[in-house]
Amino acid sequence: MLEIAGLALRYPGFTARYELTVPTGALCAVIGPSGGGKTTLLHAIAGFEQPEAGSLRFAGQDLLPLAPAQRPVSILFQDHNLFPHLTAAENVALGLKPSLRLDAGERERVAAALAEVNLAELASRRPAELSGGQRQRVALARALLRGKPLMLLDEPFGALDPGLRREMIARVDALRRSHGLTVLMTLHTPEEAAQTADLFAFVANGRVETSGPWGRLTAKDGPAPVRRFLGL
Amino acid sequence: MLRPATLTALAILALACGSLIGLARAGSDFASLLTLGPYLARLLASAGLQAALSTLLSLLLGTALALALLRRCFPGRELLLALLTTAAVAPTIVIAFGVVAIYGRSGLLGSLMRGIGAEPPSIYGLHGIVLAHVLMNMPLVTRALLHAFEREPGERRRLAAALGFTAADCFRHLDWPVIRREAPALAVLVFLLCFTSFAIVLSLGGGPANATLEVAIYEAVRFEADFVRAAALAGLQLVICLGLAASLSALTPRARAEAGAGHRAPRPDLRTMRGIDAGVLALGTVLVAPPLLSVASGLAHLPSLASVEFVRAAATSAVIAITAGLLACLLALLLASSARRLPQRSRLADLAAFALLGLPPFAFVAGLYVLLRGLGDPASLGLVLVPLVNALMALPYTYRLLAPALATSAERHGRLAESLGLAGWNRLRLVEWPALRGALGAAFAFATALSLGDFGVIALFGGPELTTLPYLLANRLGAYRIDEAGALALVLVLSAGGLAFLTQRWSARHA
Repeated sequence: MLEIAGLALRYPGFTARYELTVPTGALCAVIGPSGGGKTTLLHAIAGFEQPEAGSLRFAGQDLLPLAPAQRPVSILFQDHNLFPHLTAAENVALGLKPSLRLDAGERERVAAALAEVNLAELASRRPAELSGGQRQRVALARALLRGKPLMLLDEPFGALDPGLRREMIARVDALRRSHGLTVLMTLHTPEEAAQTADLFAFVANGRVETSGPWGRLTAKDGPAPVRRFLGL
Repeated sequence: MLRPATLTALAILALACGSLIGLARAGSDFASLLTLGPYLARLLASAGLQAALSTLLSLLLGTALALALLRRCFPGRELLLALLTTAAVAPTIVIAFGVVAIYGRSGLLGSLMRGIGAEPPSIYGLHGIVLAHVLMNMPLVTRALLHAFEREPGERRRLAAALGFTAADCFRHLDWPVIRREAPALAVLVFLLCFTSFAIVLSLGGGPANATLEVAIYEAVRFEADFVRAAALAGLQLVICLGLAASLSALTPRARAEAGAGHRAPRPDLRTMRGIDAGVLALGTVLVAPPLLSVASGLAHLPSLASVEFVRAAATSAVIAITAGLLACLLALLLASSARRLPQRSRLADLAAFALLGLPPFAFVAGLYVLLRGLGDPASLGLVLVPLVNALMALPYTYRLLAPALATSAERHGRLAESLGLAGWNRLRLVEWPALRGALGAAFAFATALSLGDFGVIALFGGPELTTLPYLLANRLGAYRIDEAGALALVLVLSAGGLAFLTQRWSARHA
């Protein structure tokens, strides 16, 4: 279980403070207005932001003292997930060894990860030769290869077409189930995850204002800020 | 009918060709060209060697300093960046003064060495030239690379942290791709600047053994009146520099639309590289700061400048610099005006602007002088030709600043302006001026500062009748009147700094 309690991050003139619990193996969609603090929440979990107070635990382990690379977390951004001078296979291999000095077994694991996202035949292409969806699948393959149980997706499919976006969300859901991952995913179009996500967290003004299943948040007597945000 | 841009481009190219032809026709001893072979080979070898050494050291030190500045945030970082900018834009003759004031026999280092009973080495020669070139160009490399590093998406640094990159991994995957992309064009630019260097080579060269083509052209015109040789050397320099300028254009990376979030995202190699960064920052500061700060010593000697000679030099400098600045902007605007109608900038305008990068100013101005010498005395002609040539030498840079601004305005509002019938003055006033004024301020200040600090063309015409501040400074430096030279260097740096400050405020207000 991911437990976030009183996690406070101070910025000039603004303090974000988060409370959230996500069961192990769940897919939690983080929604809310732009600038509300969704990305800050994910960056704090990943270790890119240093909170001044609060606690952050996953599967009972305190994550706050750990450096980003030591946390049981992998993260995908909306863009720039791949290094442009490396091939798809090398970008995936970074998840195993940043030095890229791989033995035969490790090379097989890289190939298997690419095959899992149906990109085995594009292993030698560079990011510039891949489509937006293919690039995100390479990043997904790397995240899978790292074997971290908590996956953070920071609007990773925001730049894709709606059809491809739905397909990618479905793919993430399938991988989550097969690998037993806990997933937090920020979204601009929450309707697309309505059928997939177990939990929705509505983040605004640096707070998790409310959380719950889609049906409860969008019900007629659901929370007013969420209904206003969704235009219901 | 020919458009203003085409007319301007043709006029500039005709002026350039005319000056070289005029120079060649002024001489008659064409047979002497046959004896130039060994001399030329020696000249090219020595100029090539000093330029290659200066480029290599500027790139190595500049890259290390850029990486250290990228990784570190410390009190005084902004001050160091300001010092680097000052060193990159300071007049070359001021840099030569700084090197002499610190490393010369009667400079700070020389005094310290004599204090411990050691004989200080001479600063004149290849090592002096390379030191001054590194002092000028290392900051240029540092600023350019730091800017390129900071433009990289912050996500990559976060990814590096999440993937547990070591310092070596960071260099390999974050820094090296940027260096590999940016360094070739920077190397060509620095080589071009050092290969055509004049003021530093003349001040610190210590004799003909270390001359550049530019210095050889100056000597041929000023001391030997050998116009044929000057034209031949100028033609050779033109070919080499145009080749370098063309490769610079080909190697310059295209603008990248890679804006990512959080450019100040922390890197995972901060702890490992702490010692190395501290060493590099200390070395960079020790190299750049003392020669620049030596200019401040001129403060105590400012009263020594109270003379008619100084006032005349300052007034002449101001008139020449402001005229050159205005002319450079006007010509750049005329050349760039092709962007108003064409989907792409005119290639002829590009050619006219960038051909000037390779044209040696001495050959250019000497050719014009030969053509016009019947019209007046050298001092009067100098007062016309110096600002004209200074403006033309600044044109590649002012054009580079103004053409994109005008092209962007045309792309964004050109069709709207045409549909509303806005043309000519009204289009300039209502549509283009708001987009141009920031860039125009920067272009004017740059061209004015370049002309203000120019110790090139004025070296040909300078004398009791026509004296500028850089000419006076070189004169005092040559006479070992270091105190007066310091005061003059201070005036030049403050003037250039003041211009930079005013431009920054103007650009910020009109961005």
